[in-house]
Formats: sequence, structure tokens, C-alpha cells
Amino acid sequence: MKTAMKKRVVITGVGLVSCLGTSSALFHRQLCGGTDGAGRIVEGDPQGMRIPLAGRISCFEPELYLKGRSLRPLDRTGQLLASAAQMALDNSGWAAEALRRTDVGLVLGTMFGSMHTISEFDRRCLIEGPACVSPMNFANTVINSAAGQTAIWHNLRGMNSTTATGATSGLVAIGYAADLIQCGRQTAILAGGADEFCFEASYGLERAGLSSNAGHEAECFTPFDARRSGMRLAEAGALVVLEDWDSALARGATVLGEIRGHANCYNPKWNQPGHSARGIIRAMRGALEDARLSPPEIDYISAGANGSLAGDRNEGLAIKAVFNGQSDQVPITAIKSGIGETLGAAGALQAIDLLETMCSGTLPGIAGLEQVDAELADLNLCCKPTCVDVDSGMISSVGFDGHACSLIISKPPAQV
Amino acid sequence: MTHSSAVAVTGLGMVTSIGTGRQKFWDAVLGGRCGFGPVKSFDTHKYRVHVGAEISDFCADDYVLEPQSASIGRTSQLAIAASRLALQDGSLDLSSVNRSRVGVYVGTTSGEPHCIERFDERYVQGRMDEVGAEFLNGYPCHVVPFHIAHELDLAGEVMMIPTACAAGNYAIAHACDLLGHGKADYMLAGGADSFSRITYTGFARLGAIAPELCQPFDRNRKGMIPGEGAAILLLEPTTRAVARGARIYCEIAGYGLSCDAHHMTAAHPDGEGAARAIRLALQHSGLEPRDVDYISAHGTGTLTNDRLETIAVKKALGSHAYNVPISSVKSMLGHTMGAASAIEAAVCALAIAYGRIPPTMHWRDRDSECDLDYVANSARNHEVRVAMNNAYAFGGNNSSLILTARSSSAS
Amino acid sequence: MEKEHMDIEVIRTKVKQSINRVTGIEAAAISDTASYDADLGLDSLAILEIAVDVETQFKFQASDEELSSIHTVEDAVSLVKKRLSVEVG
Repeated sequence: MKTAMKKRVVITGVGLVSCLGTSSALFHRQLCGGTDGAGRIVEGDPQGMRIPLAGRISCFEPELYLKGRSLRPLDRTGQLLASAAQMALDNSGWAAEALRRTDVGLVLGTMFGSMHTISEFDRRCLIEGPACVSPMNFANTVINSAAGQTAIWHNLRGMNSTTATGATSGLVAIGYAADLIQCGRQTAILAGGADEFCFEASYGLERAGLSSNAGHEAECFTPFDARRSGMRLAEAGALVVLEDWDSALARGATVLGEIRGHANCYNPKWNQPGHSARGIIRAMRGALEDARLSPPEIDYISAGANGSLAGDRNEGLAIKAVFNGQSDQVPITAIKSGIGETLGAAGALQAIDLLETMCSGTLPGIAGLEQVDAELADLNLCCKPTCVDVDSGMISSVGFDGHACSLIISKPPAQV
Repeated sequence: MTHSSAVAVTGLGMVTSIGTGRQKFWDAVLGGRCGFGPVKSFDTHKYRVHVGAEISDFCADDYVLEPQSASIGRTSQLAIAASRLALQDGSLDLSSVNRSRVGVYVGTTSGEPHCIERFDERYVQGRMDEVGAEFLNGYPCHVVPFHIAHELDLAGEVMMIPTACAAGNYAIAHACDLLGHGKADYMLAGGADSFSRITYTGFARLGAIAPELCQPFDRNRKGMIPGEGAAILLLEPTTRAVARGARIYCEIAGYGLSCDAHHMTAAHPDGEGAARAIRLALQHSGLEPRDVDYISAHGTGTLTNDRLETIAVKKALGSHAYNVPISSVKSMLGHTMGAASAIEAAVCALAIAYGRIPPTMHWRDRDSECDLDYVANSARNHEVRVAMNNAYAFGGNNSSLILTARSSSAS
Repeated sequence: MEKEHMDIEVIRTKVKQSINRVTGIEAAAISDTASYDADLGLDSLAILEIAVDVETQFKFQASDEELSSIHTVEDAVSLVKKRLSVEVG
């Protein structure tokens, strides 16, 4: 293969649709204010099961962002992603005219794609017969459909890919896209992810014992809290615009931050005592190595902790192991305390909040954290908004079944 | 760290409706053997079409040795089998390697469709209380490569790239990048999909399924035939392969990916997106159109795909398109979805290694719009130094992978 | 209302309702002679979706040849009329 010079990868824009809104500044302010966006609304399902609608964005109006064409072909995951893409393109200054001239890419991270769409399509086949299924919905039964729909909506003709690694999918997508730009395959890529909140996903999590309300006496979904009982499923769509630094400067883009390094890995012994944190440790160390940074150079950690009993513990132990000596100093936050577990969108939301933290000098506290898990007591877990001066921050993402991803973002590179 | 090392294909493993394992598969493909038959895995009496390409002789217990094998889905089983076969074919003993530097990238269209199909059946029958933890543990598509890694005790980078019918190419391409970045020593990369009622129903509703045979590029072609399968390629830096004395089928010289951004289920009518992917692949590989000796086509057998693919090949290769034999093994295997382009990449590797190219079966009448050399009906001896593997997917995803004989690679 | 007496206007209205459900285009804005592609700007998937909606409304299944012959509102209306009278006959 032809050798390419290593490019620097920067972030030039962001877009998000979340239960804390669509403005990155307001998103960050609400997290700092301790707002719990992933409320608790319980509704009935046709089967008579009561499913918490926590984390479903009640006021999402895709027609505000996606104008001029029928939205019928897009399902909810597609609408979340395409809406986030519209805002990301606007935020980074990629106008329609520029998109006609340049092939901008897209990498979607998702855990389920559109499980509701897939399931509905199949149920209609079972109930009404194969002749009555919806051709338009069939197009959305492929797991990467949101990526295709978003590319069609916004004329994104560059590389279009999808990563699925469970709950870490979105952060993995950002790393994947960064690598493509670094080796010169693309100059601009939207990266991040989306997963919609649906009955099927919620029920699945509950039956797997991962939800905070799955048979526990007292429900608590606060990350790292000793009383935590599991996660709260939520939904979102979020993207960052990654670009080759030289190209970004040439078009006069505002540079918000730089992707310094990332790593991800699978731990085949994830459910064995004594081994369960190892994958997360390797991902964190791998990201530091990739970024050529050492632990003392990380000014804060955005943890992926979501209230999961095992996940939060393993992540905390991993931070202790990797930041040995600094772990009581490096401030740690966990934004899922305020937005729930957004699966494919989580990585980009963590990145967006990291950029806001860099800019504002304040990191959000972990909403609701009152009783820190004793095993993790010597971590610097921020319960309240905390002043930080961030040159480099680490984002950590931990899956439910053995995968871990870590990504490091720094302040924008100094222009020469 | 520069992105430079040549990547070698040193092992091939596949499970298909016409043969499992490299030798059986290759013999079957060269012999024009077909895997079509009446669909057995669900009742098609309410459908207008009834033919599929299912695998009838797969025994998971032969390959899935971990205790949890009974609870993992069919796609994972096929993928594990293909992985074990690839390792065996590549003579790689995992006990001798650093397992945290061995990764798994798999592509798919549906992941584990039987899991959601069972979930849906329970839903409509009011038996949701029967859904247990196995649903979330076994359904999301990422479990396929995770199951491979768990089975083989691998701790490197593991990812599912669910880019539907082009997914195998994406997985292989990304694996090459990872090896080039020095982040892995070996990669198992490919694709897998198991026969799916949802997929079959959707394509039937689109009117895309042929009643009897898959006849790519033929004037009377009537559509595609859904199938299932898995293929995994063992990939490693050429320097490593040489050092350990591995047999090298070929190298992967480069790839090109693009998106039509036009339509979810139909390619752009001017074929430009697909042509662009071909041009990018050649550029990335440091090759010219005239260097291409063989093309493994996407060749689904639908009226639209085969016509537009022909247009794209002509746009990208110019007059040389008429000199390049193109065959579609979907004429024998049907459309194995996420596995297809991985199986077809293996076909390219074998064509390079053995100097034989497989036929496009059931080709009888020339279509004036598909007027290239489709290697009709019989395999052919043909020296292949550069092979191109094209695959196109829902969402307008276009991919081209270039495989080369070792001395052809651009350094 | 017996099928053999279903007024052509009713068929046309129901077809336009299908188009509206799939595309969001107001039924009143759809002319009786509108072409799916040229006038309404519909792609192949939308056209098929409308056909499936029409089939479901009128409880018949069109053959592949019939489906591929529908290019206008009028084509759809004619097909429905033909299939309804066949069912009675």
C-alpha cells in the first residue's frame, strides 16, 4: 500500500440531539447544574408490561433540523443521527455547496441500529403476512441504515462506515474516523453515533439484569455510587466533525480540539474475577501510548460509568491501575449521571462535553453521587462542578460484555 | 508511525452452501456447483418465491468448543468455524503468539437474526416472559466477533463492521489499516450472515428474488437468491509471514470506499459512486486500470445491479474493461449478505495463488448492456497478478478491494 | 359498499390517501394525472411502499408485472379497479 504522511486530526464542529437539548453549551451547563435529563416516565406497552420511558427525548422534532423532504423514509435512529449531522455540519461551516465539491465521510457507532424497526418489520410479517411488510422499513432493517440515510440526506459521498462494539461503539467510531484522516484517506469525516430508545432494547436490558430497575429493591443509577443498581437506558444522536488540520486551516474552520490518540480492545476474560478490569486498563494505556502522553499529562477523565455494578467498578479499578499515584488527583466525571446510557451516541456526547469543559474551565459533577463505592474511595470523583484547566482529557467507554475503548482529546494545536 | 507494511493473506477459512474449508470450497466453485434449493428454515408457503441457498451440513459442535456453544447464534457459529479453518489453513498456532495482538474484524448485514425473530414470535404470541438474558447477550451484532475472540481467547482489537452487503470488504480493509499502523500482529477479518426470515421477506417484497436460479449478467436474469455463509481471512504483515515461513496466497494492496448518497436500496444510475471506489482502490494500490487481471463482481443477478456494475467497471477501467474477465460466484452461492465480499475476497486470493478463475454460472443469453467477459459457465486458467473485489450495499456503500500476487505489490 | 360498485372517485381518493401516508404530500395537492416520478418526485422505494399500502387497503396482491407498470396515479387507480372487478367476476 502507498505510504501516507501522518496527519493531525482536529475537531471542527459538533452536533447533538439529547435529553438535555441540542446546544452543546446548554448541554454542558445543565450537566454542571446537576440536571437529570433522563427522567423517569413509565408507560404501558401493548403487552401489558410497564416499561420505563426514561431517556426517551419527549420533545424531539426532527423537522426542525431536516427540512424540505418527507421524513417518512427515516426511522427514529436515522432521524436522531441525521439531525445531529445537520447541526454538526452547520457548526463546522460545511455548507451544502462545499459538500457538493468535497466527499465528506461518516462513521456511525451503534449498538442496535434500529432494533424497533427490525422488530416491527418482522412482527408485521408474522401477523399480516409477508406481502404486507413495508419496503421502506426493510431498507432500515440493516444495522447501518442510519448512516446510509444520513449520507443521502446531507450528500455525504466519502467513506461511509459503521462500527458495532456494543456500548463502546460511538467512541470506537471516532477513533476509526481519526485513523482514516491520519493516514490521508479522507480529509473530513463526521463521527459519533446514535441509538434510539425502544421497548425492545429496554426489555432486553431488563431481562439481562442490567437495568437499574431490574428486580432491585431500591433503584439507583448513579455512576460509582455504592447504592447503584444498574443503568438507565436513554437515546441520543451525536457527532463530531473530524478533519485533517491542514485542510481545516485552509478553509478557515474553527478548531475546537485535537484527537491525540485512542485504543480499544476486547477482554475474553471479562467475566472472570481478577481479570475483569484488564481490557479497560489496556485500552487506557494503549490510548496514552498512541497519544505519546503519560498519565500525569491527563487533566481529567470522562468516565463511561453508567450505574452498572460491574462496569463502574472495573472502570474505577482500571483508572487506579493506570493512573497509579495520580488517581486521587486526576478529576473524574461521569456524564451518564445526567443523561443515562445512550449507547452509540455516548462517545460523541462525552467528547462534546470534554470540549465544553476545556472551553469553560468547569467540569460537571456526577449528579446524585453521595455515597462513593468504598472500593473506589481514593479516586477523585467529582460530585460537584469543579474548576479544571484541561490541556488533555481522556474519554473512557466500557461495554457490557468485555469491550473497552479510550480516546484522548487535547486543546487545539498551536498554529505556527 | 508510518502506514507502510504490505499485508499478506496467509489463511482462508469459509463455510458455504457448496463447501466448507478452503479446498472443498475452491473445488466446488471451480466446478460450478450450486447451493440453491427450497428454503427449509422457515415456511415460505405465503411467499411467491421459495428458493434459497442455505447451508445444510454445518455441525457447530465440530468447531465451537467453548461450553457456551449451545447458547450462541448461528452466525457466530459459522464465523467461529471459518476462523478456526483460517487459522488451520494458515498454520498459525495461537499458543505461540501474543494474543493481545491478534484482532478480529467481522462484517455482517443482520448479525444474529434468529434471536430477534424468536423475540418477535414470542411478542406476537404473548410469551414475552420467556425472554431471558440470552436475548441481550446473544442478539446485538457485535457479539459475532466477540464470540470468536472469546472462543479463541483473543484480546486484541475486536469489532463488527455491519455495512451490510459490502461488509466483508470493509472488515478486511480496516484490518489491513490496523496491521499497517502496527496495532496488531495478526488479524482475522471477514464476514458472516445466517439465513434470515427478515432478510428473505424484505427482498421478496422488493421483488428482488429469482424464482429458481441466480443468473448474474444474463439477459433473462430475474434476481438474487438469499443465502448464508462465513469467510475469514488470516492477515498479517508480509514480513511476519515470510519470517515464520507461512504460505502466502497474495497481498492486499489497497482499497477504495465511497458512498452514492442517493438511495437506500438502489445504486446511483450513473454508476459514478462505484466507479469512484474502483479508482480510489487503484490509486491507493499504486496501480493502473490496465494492471487488473480479474474482477470478482458483486453480481447479485438483479437487473439493476448487474447493469450498473457493468457501467461502473467501464467508467473506471475504460477500454481495458473488455479485457478483464469478471465472474460472480453469487451465481453458485446466492447472496450471502455480509459474508459475500469476504467469500469473494477469498476467491480472489485463490485465483491469484492458483491461476484459475471461477465461472459465472447459468449465463445463457447476452444482455446488450452487460457485454463484458463474464467467464460464462466454466472455470478458466488465467494468470491473475491483480484481482479486484467489488461489493455494493444498501445505503449506497461502494467498496473495491485490490489483491495482488506478491511481486506485483506497489512498495 | 359492495366491491363491484366502488366508485372510481372513491378508489382515487383512497389511492391518494396511500400516497399521503407514505410521502406526506397532501392528497388535495395530488392531481389525478400526476406521474410518480416526474410530478411527485418519488423514488422506487416510495412507489413500492405506496403500492403495498394500496394492496393492503384493497386486499389484493399485485403481480410483479403489475407493480412495475404503475408510474402514475391513474395507473394505480386502473389497477385497483381491474382487480376489484376481477374479484367479483
